[in-house]
Amino acid sequence: MTVDISLTVNGETRTGSPEARKTLADFLRDDLDLTGTHVGCEHGVCGACTVIIDGRPVRSCLMLAIQAAGSEVTTIEGLATDGGLNPLQQAMWDSHSFQCGFCTPGFVMQATAFLRDHPDGDEQQLREALSGNICRCTGYQSIIDGVLLAAERNRER
Amino acid sequence: MTRIAAERYTGASVRRSEDPRILTGSGRYVDDIKLPGMLHAAFVRSPLPHARVLSVDVSAARELPGVVAVYTGAEVEEMTVPGPDALSTLIGSAGPIPEFSLLATDKVRLVGDPVAIVVAESRYLAEDGCELVEVEYDDLPPVATASFALDPASPPLFANLGSNISRPHSRTEFGDVTATFDQADRVFDFHIDVHRHQNVPMEGRGSVASYDADSGLMTVYTATQSVQLSKIIVAMRLGLEQDKVRVIAGDIGGSFGLKIGASREELAAAAAARALGRPVKWVEDRGENLTVSGQAREESFDIRAAVSSEGDLLGLDVKMLIDTGSYPAMGGGVPDIIQAMLPGPYKLAALGFESTGVTTNKAPYVAYRGPWASETFVRERILDVIAKDLGLDPLEIRLRNVVPRTDPPAVMITGRPLVGITTRESLERVAEMVDIPAFRRRQAEARADGRYLGVGMATFIEAAPGPRAPGGPSGPMGLESMRLRLDEDGIVVLFTGQMPHGQSHQTTLAQVAADEFGVPFEQVRVVVGDTDVVPFGVTGGSRSATMTGGVALHGARQLKVKVLDFASHLMEVSAQDLQITEGNVWVRGDPDSAVPVTEIARRAADGEFGPDADADLEVVASFDGGEGGWSGGTHCAIVEVDAETGLVQVERYVVAEDCGALINPAVVEGQIRGGVAQGIGAVLLERSAYDQDANFQSATFMDYLMPTACDVPRIEIEHLETVPLDAHVNFRGVGEGGMIVAPPTVVNAIEDALAPFGVRIFEQHLPPARILELIAEADSGQ
Amino acid sequence: MKLPPFDYEAPETTAEAIELLAEHDDDASVLAGGQSLIPLLALRLARPAVLIDVNGIGELSGVSASDGQVTIGAVTREYVAEESQTVAESLPLLAAALPFIGHEAIRSRGTIGGSLAHGDPAAELPAVARALDAEFVLRSRAGERLVSAADWFEGYLTTARRPDELLVEVRFPAAGKGTGTSFLEVARRHGDFAIVALATSLTLADGTISDARLAFAGMSDVPVRATEAESLLVGERPSAELFAEAARRATADIDPPSDLHGSAEYRRKVAAALVRRGLRAAADNAIEGQ
Repeated sequence: MTVDISLTVNGETRTGSPEARKTLADFLRDDLDLTGTHVGCEHGVCGACTVIIDGRPVRSCLMLAIQAAGSEVTTIEGLATDGGLNPLQQAMWDSHSFQCGFCTPGFVMQATAFLRDHPDGDEQQLREALSGNICRCTGYQSIIDGVLLAAERNRER
Repeated sequence: MTRIAAERYTGASVRRSEDPRILTGSGRYVDDIKLPGMLHAAFVRSPLPHARVLSVDVSAARELPGVVAVYTGAEVEEMTVPGPDALSTLIGSAGPIPEFSLLATDKVRLVGDPVAIVVAESRYLAEDGCELVEVEYDDLPPVATASFALDPASPPLFANLGSNISRPHSRTEFGDVTATFDQADRVFDFHIDVHRHQNVPMEGRGSVASYDADSGLMTVYTATQSVQLSKIIVAMRLGLEQDKVRVIAGDIGGSFGLKIGASREELAAAAAARALGRPVKWVEDRGENLTVSGQAREESFDIRAAVSSEGDLLGLDVKMLIDTGSYPAMGGGVPDIIQAMLPGPYKLAALGFESTGVTTNKAPYVAYRGPWASETFVRERILDVIAKDLGLDPLEIRLRNVVPRTDPPAVMITGRPLVGITTRESLERVAEMVDIPAFRRRQAEARADGRYLGVGMATFIEAAPGPRAPGGPSGPMGLESMRLRLDEDGIVVLFTGQMPHGQSHQTTLAQVAADEFGVPFEQVRVVVGDTDVVPFGVTGGSRSATMTGGVALHGARQLKVKVLDFASHLMEVSAQDLQITEGNVWVRGDPDSAVPVTEIARRAADGEFGPDADADLEVVASFDGGEGGWSGGTHCAIVEVDAETGLVQVERYVVAEDCGALINPAVVEGQIRGGVAQGIGAVLLERSAYDQDANFQSATFMDYLMPTACDVPRIEIEHLETVPLDAHVNFRGVGEGGMIVAPPTVVNAIEDALAPFGVRIFEQHLPPARILELIAEADSGQ
Repeated sequence: MKLPPFDYEAPETTAEAIELLAEHDDDASVLAGGQSLIPLLALRLARPAVLIDVNGIGELSGVSASDGQVTIGAVTREYVAEESQTVAESLPLLAAALPFIGHEAIRSRGTIGGSLAHGDPAAELPAVARALDAEFVLRSRAGERLVSAADWFEGYLTTARRPDELLVEVRFPAAGKGTGTSFLEVARRHGDFAIVALATSLTLADGTISDARLAFAGMSDVPVRATEAESLLVGERPSAELFAEAARRATADIDPPSDLHGSAEYRRKVAAALVRRGLRAAADNAIEGQ
């Protein structure tokens, strides 16, 4: 069965009629052509599919698309300002945070939530906050450095 | 007035050109690709590890609305060119090549073996269709262990092999093994097991195949480490001429050796695409990736070590048994590399090495980052145990055995010269960085408090690409070529067969070319991933820094010569008097003469100059590795082991490494850290688990555990001053080293932490329960 | 790993939900946070014909306290409970356990009731509910039914909920004066399911233990109270020797599972260590609070 839904994605109203069983991750990627959100495991462990829903980080593979009806969803595509990079993305670029890039959208969204909620968080808190996102390439240090650099620059502003 | 560029890109941590798209979610991975009319494939897979297939009934699946086609293994055979495994045929095999069909027809050989392909309007529907396919199996006894596989009574996985021996026993000796052992003061006997674990890139395997009947052209979008190799295999299996296949790769979410060639599933999906006249996408899910894509490292060793009472490692005699799993992949070739590398940077006088490879009902043994890594594990593990037995310090025994750097260089007993190695320097530097005496004091205080800290180190060398063989090329896989062109917009374009999947080639190669040619970094573009435009190449074997960095260097110089030759016509000056810096061509000593490279390029494209001027501003360069060289280093870890729970925390991790000249330090450090994380994962968390009947037990991320940001500490890296060997190219590979040497580093540290219990460790996988078992076994004197 | 097909209902009131459950009975699964159910669906291990999504029923969400009891609506998000002042003040054991549940993104959606109705013996909330003798409030066409924590967990992923019943809220006794708590977990990695976890609550009166609760996760197919250890502790003064003996008693007759992450023997050893450490932490916590 399909259900008609309307939701806000990256500030725009989007609609669709997904099957009830379709995950939000698949709906974003297939129906809305927002392929920035990646699917890494489909059972809620790797964090690659992380988006922000009504202000909270959420694993989009563990939500039915229709459950997001009426919500405000932010994906990786919704972060950059004027086609450029936002301060977190810029700091990650400067810090060589990533390699293959597959885990990146999930990390960026999770880090976005962390910086908003813990702008002065220390490295240990940050590592715990990101421990639900798996990266196979970097060993995490460069990602941590990118987020901490963004926090530092935010404080200086 | 033009400024003269003072800084070089090479050696600087230039920000990556890949990142703007990656950071904004604009990368293009296989699963992002959508083609008009595209269908989705899923596979019916065997729930049994070893069975005959009696019947496959696809009728109900074909009726399901949304299912467009279902093909059995037999039907796929008719749609493809049967034959021996393409990769084994191309690369060569030490043993007989097993015969099998693309999808299983008469039998299944591991849990997850694909039996039929379902093609539907969505992956959801394809999976629904798979559930409706009825397969009748007749169980066969599972071959779940290497020891059973050796038994002639075990049912052969492959009829044409007649047994489960995938790589027949062979033995080679170097030096006088018998005499060395006869004369040794001490002979030690060890048995060491390395456990099965796997690549697990965050993106699985997959492809989108699209066939155009009018032109007869098959286009395959895929994730691969070599588009040209994938193309060869697709053409072979689909019975197409090479020029009728185009393979394209965009962004790739990691591989670590997994995505090489073309998988059975991708080939079946391509055949389906041709039959249906619509593109077919297949992207594996995590269950498939963990279960069937491939695994590695399951090998065991019986080792005899001949040692002097002062701690000289005189000789080794090693017997290796490797479990190569079911379908052939890389496993059969691993013993040869292990044999070659076992002496490491040490003064080993004699080596006896024998090996046997077996097939079992498990996933194929694929290349996984440093496939020969067990040679370092075994060697660095036994050195620690021997040291303890002789009352020597682990650093001391290594320094004693390390080959000094001489001219001419010492030669490994297995043949390669140890030219330019900096092992001694790396050992000494790591000892300084860690301050081991201070640690020992801290360790003693902690023990008094019931806390168990340990320090461990290990050293390695890696042929990345390795030294030049007399009269031969340095690099494995021979020459590297590259096409370089100054296009009409003044962009220096590099066409390379490298296929980056995290290695940052689009940045590093541009750095080298920018420096050598003389344009800003932004004026270089690196083109990868399209068989229509790039030369043959494979990203793997840690060879790209030397081979591709080198061909970029030489090629850019060659292109510069050509461009200056052309410019000399334009500027009416001898080419010798011209130079290119910061994107301008100018006469030496006369900055006002500068003409932008972009203008040179435009005017060449306009055909402005006479027939004498060669206006085709393109070169094809090739490079044999130059003098090549070794990479290597020493790693050291400090761990804390909770003796009540068995949990291990890596507190500190220190690296002193030598990978020659660095193109981009941040990229080098990222590669090392990622490899170390995988090594920590292997020891503490990761195991591809099978039960005693070859049923697979770690098919989700709940059971196959990978290290997270809480498991990998900051990794401190120092780059040693390297010994340049070549007049021009001294970049050496670094991609695999971290994963090669981190496991023994961590295991050595754990054994040191548990020294008060008398624990000795002869295995690589140490989950908490195993740690407590080791403590209990040591306590009870086992 | 795509979900199998199912019908979907999204009732807006408890009454509607109950009617749907009466109609579909065991053909239906209740979808709350989805953090446990959706992976089961993705793996096609669960095949409900109907999913009844209760996330839209506002009255099922909320934390309230009265008369020494804290009531938490079944659909209250774990992160809401984590941020709740009431939980922090009156249910310190729950507050201590919540950060161990998966990761932040899981707690964004996961619910208190959902986790307890799923009944994974290696999960944190079942152990807390057992330790505190929480009360489960069910509603169906037949009316309201109360089930104590001791009777709620019947077996592996099996609870006392009948197919036509909806778990609407869980009631926890507020921590009394002199109570100290600790929640300790041994897991393979931060955020993973427990190999063994221990929820401990000790109440001290005049330096003597007047109440002791020890509930394990991961030691059986249900959360388990270490009642022999608890009876040893009551009436005694905290000491290392007492806690060591409690650890022995707590693990003497227990038969924990063996799996990829730990053998039965391993779990027993870890459980004993957690009892020693958990009791010390809870005792210190009780003394600090005085």
